[in-house]
Order: sequence, then C-alpha cells, then structure tokens
Amino acid sequence: MPIDWEPIWLTLRLAGITTFILLLIGVPLAGWLALSRFRFKPVVEALISLPLVLPPSVVGFYLLVAFSPTSAFGAWLLKTVDLQLVFSFEGLVVASLLYSLPFMVHPVQAGIENLPISWREASYTLGQSRSRTMWRVLLPNCKPALLTGIVLTFAHTIGEFGLVLMIGGNLPGQTRVASIAIYDEVELLHFETAHTYAALLLGLSFAILLLVYGINKRVTV
Amino acid sequence: MIHIDVVIPRLFAEGASDLHVKLEIESGSLLALVGPSGSGKTTLLRLLAGLETPQQGRIVVDNDVWLDKQQAINRPPQQRSIGYVFQDTALFPNMTVRENIQYAAPSGQRALLDELVEATGLEPFIDQKPIRLSGGQRQRVALARALVRRPKLLLLDEPFAALDADASQTLRQVLLKLHQNWGTTTLLVSHHEVDVQALADRVIRMVQGRIQTDDLIANRITARVQLEAIKRIEYDEARQYWIIETDTTLIQSSNPAWENRRVGDLIQIGVS
Repeated sequence: MPIDWEPIWLTLRLAGITTFILLLIGVPLAGWLALSRFRFKPVVEALISLPLVLPPSVVGFYLLVAFSPTSAFGAWLLKTVDLQLVFSFEGLVVASLLYSLPFMVHPVQAGIENLPISWREASYTLGQSRSRTMWRVLLPNCKPALLTGIVLTFAHTIGEFGLVLMIGGNLPGQTRVASIAIYDEVELLHFETAHTYAALLLGLSFAILLLVYGINKRVTV
Repeated sequence: MIHIDVVIPRLFAEGASDLHVKLEIESGSLLALVGPSGSGKTTLLRLLAGLETPQQGRIVVDNDVWLDKQQAINRPPQQRSIGYVFQDTALFPNMTVRENIQYAAPSGQRALLDELVEATGLEPFIDQKPIRLSGGQRQRVALARALVRRPKLLLLDEPFAALDADASQTLRQVLLKLHQNWGTTTLLVSHHEVDVQALADRVIRMVQGRIQTDDLIANRITARVQLEAIKRIEYDEARQYWIIETDTTLIQSSNPAWENRRVGDLIQIGVS
C-alpha cells in the first residue's frame, strides 16, 4: 500500500510554523521574565506553564469552546477576519502556540537567568538600554538555551495528539497530522501503515535530538 | 565636587543595621575604600552606580542630581556618567577585546578608543576573546571599556584582588596614568595596602556600613608624585644594584623587581 506523505508534511509544517512564531514571541517574553521584577510575574509564569501540567484534552476543550463560531470570540474572529479556528490548520497553529509556549520560554528564561548578573549590570553602566543588552550581550551568550528552546518546541509540536484531536479532528490535508494518522490507521487495523508513520516519527525525533546534543556539546566546550 | 549622603538597611556580620555614608569627594581625586569584608564598600559603589537604590539619600555630582529620594529623583545607571569595573571584570565573552570596548563607545570616537587601547597596552590582544586573556589583561580591558565614555566617576571594585604582583604593578601604572591624564574622579575598593598606598590621595576605612576613618595621604598632597619615563636602566654587576635614570632623577636600587622594567616604562617620581 503506498504511503500517504500528507500527514508527515503537515506535521513538519505545523511544527516549523509554530517554532518560528514562538521564536518571535517566546524569546522576548523569556527575556522580559528573566529581567523583570514585575509584581505579578508569578501569575504570568504560572499561566505560561499551565500546558505542562494540564491534560491536553483540557486545554483542547477550552480552546474548542473559545474558538467555536458560537462563542463570542469565535464569532468575532469569523466576522472580522473571516477566520475559523476549529477544525482548521490555522486553529492547530494557534493551539500549538499556546501549548508549546513553555517549551520555548523555560529554557531561554533559565539560560538568561543563569548568566552572571554583572554582565547586564556592566552593560547598563556602559549606558546601554535593556533591549540592546538583551540582543547584544545576553542572548548571544545563551545559544545552547536558545537551541534547546527551538528544538523542544519543534519536537513537542510533532508529538501533539490530544489537543489536535480535540480542536482539529481528522481532516486529511487540514488537521490530519502524523500522530492522528497513526491512531486512525491502528483503528482501521492498518498496522503496516501505522508502523511506517511511527518509525518515521521515531527516526525524525531521534535525529533532531541527536543534532541538538551534538551541537550543544560543541557550543559549550 | 561629589556629595553623597545615603542610607540603606544591610545585614552585616554583627547583625542587621543601616549602611549610612555621608561623604564629599573632591573632583579629580582618587579615593580608596578599605575595610573588612562585608563592611559595605561594594554596596557604596553600587549605590553610586545606580545598581542599588538607597532607602533615603542624595547623590549630587558636579551640581548634577543623580539621586534625591525626597524629590523622587533616581537616575538609572544608563543616565549616570560612570565607569564601573566589576570584580569579575564582566567582560562579554561573545565579543573580542575591541568589540567589548567598542560596544560602549559613542559613535565616531575612534581616536579615543585607540588612545585607551594604547594606554592600557592591549594592542597585542585586541582581536582575542576575553577567555584567552590573563587576569591582569582582562582587568585592563575592563578599565579601558569603563573609560571609553569618559565618565565623571570611575568605580573600581577590587581590581587587584586576583592578580599576581607583576600584573598588579602593571595595572597600577595604567590606572594611575589614566586617572591623571583624564582627570576622572576615582573610587577604588581594595584590600591591598600596597595598592592603596601607591594610588590613593585619600583613604576611607569602612566598618559595618559607617566611615570609621577618613585620612588624606599627606605626602601625596605636599610631595606631589609625577610619572616619568625610564630613559636608561642597567644593572651594575660590580656594585650589585640597578641604575635607573629619568628626565629629572637618578635612582640606585638593589630591589630585584627592577629586572622587569624597560626603557620607556613609566615610574612614579616624588616631586618636592
């Protein structure tokens, strides 16, 4: 039976887009959290970390309710930007952004917090702003943490299942990512196809992690 | 003139108390802060730099108010004209020596950067990353970097702490030369008597967050010291002493430390 590559490409596209957007959102957020003395910082940190402890079905359920065209938010989205987030690829991207956010923020925040405080203080006493200090001094010195954030986000998005099932369903070419396809094939007792998808995901995930550990070793030595 | 009057609660070895320092510093002077560990020397530097905020107080530098708690003025470190040399040097490891200094340099200040690099003797390492440098070299980079914005106030936190005698000696010379040439007011925290004696014109001893003694180094005021280049240096085998000649002075010394000096090196000469 010929393999349908669509779920694999869809998975990689979802993971790639999620990682890219989280790099743009998560890194500044991590930087802000690392340096901020904002009083309600613990609240923000707890919210970001929620997906780590909640069952994906809980996150998925709330997002389903929120994204549904019958809800105020869903209706507003549909009316103003003609965007439907339930059972669509865009919806998966938005859900993955929320779900994978801690995987980008935590390593980068920890990386920045572990740098000597004197580096940022030195930069401030040299008249440089917080943002210039972040881009020129702090981030370039925590490359391993950035790399870890990128890879964990990518790998975690590849591994999503419950959340995708809740808000995406199983629409070929739209929301049928590899993890869903495996479940589907097993349900249909197509073990051979399930094997192929599973082996591809296993090989891919291992290769990515190997790459990270290899590079991180070179960077830190 | 620099006016300081700051109060901040601190935990000292003897228990919780207030650090309270009231001090006036002549512009262009080199003041040494000495005292036991945990007596508040570094805290005072950090308060001046704006890295910590006192509970109450006022800091005025050349009629420029940096801090006034009563009027709710508290300038961030970026807006205070300071150069801070951290004990761990805080050089940025991702940048070369040149990039570290350039990072802080106002644009178009190439000549200033070159002058500092020359004065600190950093040319041979200019394109090296800090990790390749010795402790003394790193301190000199940190000093050059701190001075590149021509600060009114130079704050040095134990710059000699981790250096051997030779590196200390070199750094002392560089520091004294820069301090004198640039007229920067300098506050130096040090544990080493020899550094203090060689550099400072005023010594303040702090104990438990208070000034215990405040001494002007008299001979430095009456007998001024100037730097002169060595014109001739040679060892007299027969009499077993060094002969060192500068523009104004001829020195004879049996101190083996002269072995490390070369023609052109700057040394301190007392002028009566």
